Amino acid sequence: MGKFLYFLTYYKKSLLTLLLILIFVWSLFSVQWNADLLHPGGGVTTKQIFQALLAPDLSPEILILALESTWITLVYAVAGMSIAIILAFFFGILASGVLSTSRFNLFAVSGFFRGILGFTRAIHELVWAWLFVAAIGLSPFAAVFALGIPYGGILGKIFADMLNDIPEEPIKALETAGASKLQTLLYGYLPLVRANIISYVMYRFECSVRSSAIMSFVGLGGLGYQIQLSLSDLQYDEVWTFLFFLIALVVLIDAWSNLLRKRMVL
Amino acid sequence: MKKTLSYPKKKRSFTFVTFSVLSVFCLLAASWGYIFIAENASFFGLFTEENYLFAKKFLSSLAGIGDNDPAFTNKESWIHALKLTYETLQMSVMAAGFATVTALLTVIPADRNVADGTLTLSKRWYRWILFWIIRGIYVFSRAIPELVWAMVIVFILKPGILPGALALALHNFGILGKLFAEIIEDIDMKPIRNLASSGASNAQILFYGVIPAVMPKFLTYILYRWEVIMRTSIIVGFVGAGGLGQQFKLSMSFFNYTDITLILICYLILVAIADAISEGFRRAAR
Repeated sequence: MGKFLYFLTYYKKSLLTLLLILIFVWSLFSVQWNADLLHPGGGVTTKQIFQALLAPDLSPEILILALESTWITLVYAVAGMSIAIILAFFFGILASGVLSTSRFNLFAVSGFFRGILGFTRAIHELVWAWLFVAAIGLSPFAAVFALGIPYGGILGKIFADMLNDIPEEPIKALETAGASKLQTLLYGYLPLVRANIISYVMYRFECSVRSSAIMSFVGLGGLGYQIQLSLSDLQYDEVWTFLFFLIALVVLIDAWSNLLRKRMVL
Repeated sequence: MKKTLSYPKKKRSFTFVTFSVLSVFCLLAASWGYIFIAENASFFGLFTEENYLFAKKFLSSLAGIGDNDPAFTNKESWIHALKLTYETLQMSVMAAGFATVTALLTVIPADRNVADGTLTLSKRWYRWILFWIIRGIYVFSRAIPELVWAMVIVFILKPGILPGALALALHNFGILGKLFAEIIEDIDMKPIRNLASSGASNAQILFYGVIPAVMPKFLTYILYRWEVIMRTSIIVGFVGAGGLGQQFKLSMSFFNYTDITLILICYLILVAIADAISEGFRRAAR
């Protein structure tokens, strides 16, 4: 028995890898692997899609339309992120429990707010968008809230984790100097997590651009809406034009956040 | 000799950081301005009597009020939903598997330290070309959202689990590839150089030097991505790629609101289970 336990702990990682591979193999059995998976015209369509990739539609009207939808996508992403950051700031601080005074308070308050954050981020932003559109109609606010709520949940959780993970010596020093809870937050916790949280927010901003692009699938304007329309028209060359604009936007934001991360003192 | 005290002057130049802060404020102002002015959306216009009634009706039908046989008390709908949940689980595992396998196969040439020869102590002229090609493919597949991949793939494959899994895999292939490459670029080079200078072949370097060093981190990232895939699996279903999402879309079209509630319950359970499992595995892998 002891030998077996030793075996388990010694080969823990290899066993884990093996287990994961087995689970993957199990999942492969759910599909019946034969030619029936393909549409009758699937081969031809694949060829058309790849041909369109090499020759995207670059006519002026499509380019202008693409620029306009890119701007709308960016607008929804920025507006959604600003709501997410405000939500994350307050909920994150409350969920981390750095302001709580008593032990009971700590568990009750931080547990409650962690629960809320968990719920908001468990539901995907597109599902939120769908629910919002069903409830308040096709307003830009449906997109902004649908983006802001789940992203607020994710950012809030990360923010709370960062606040909990910082070394306690600086905080202890502030406390012995007579700082109140609010002062430890303002002069201890927040400056310590600032650089990390900015770099994470930038990463999330990149994700939010992608999300806001697909947000349009429920009927809110933007790049995804145009992609959907062009796909329904079987205009694959237009689809690729819009996709290239989306890729350019994502790469631009990625480059910006990389530069910023290098310049900021981490 | 007279000594003058000189204070270090604080640099006040136009840095990249100030530029970023300014552009963030410009973006914020432009975005909210656009929403309020160009799209003419008024926030308080949302709170009309009409919207209130719509929202109330929608929420009460989600809760099954006024429905004689809500789906979440019906045994058969539960069995159906659980079957779909099982399918979704399989789809997410398959997607994570495909993404991992493809990323692992391409990751070695996509590392900066392999391309410039510092890892293997050997240089080849074609390595930088390979590096840029593979990095380009990563960016490409990462920048396109999984929903768009799914929409394209259902044109080629029949609706079912496979197109969903492939769409999720294509998006996550780019992400995992980038993360894996960053891990390999960050590893401690000394053991590897030792192996290389004592005459190990490339395959030996890979199996005895690189893989043992990076495996735990790879496992962590795979599990983390699997969690995200689980969450997104409902989305690819919207365009007909199988699982819970497909049923969600159908129920939405049929206005079977209690069905939607049931699906959302199953989805939340699935996400919670995925979180717990991946957390457990990550603890074990550490």
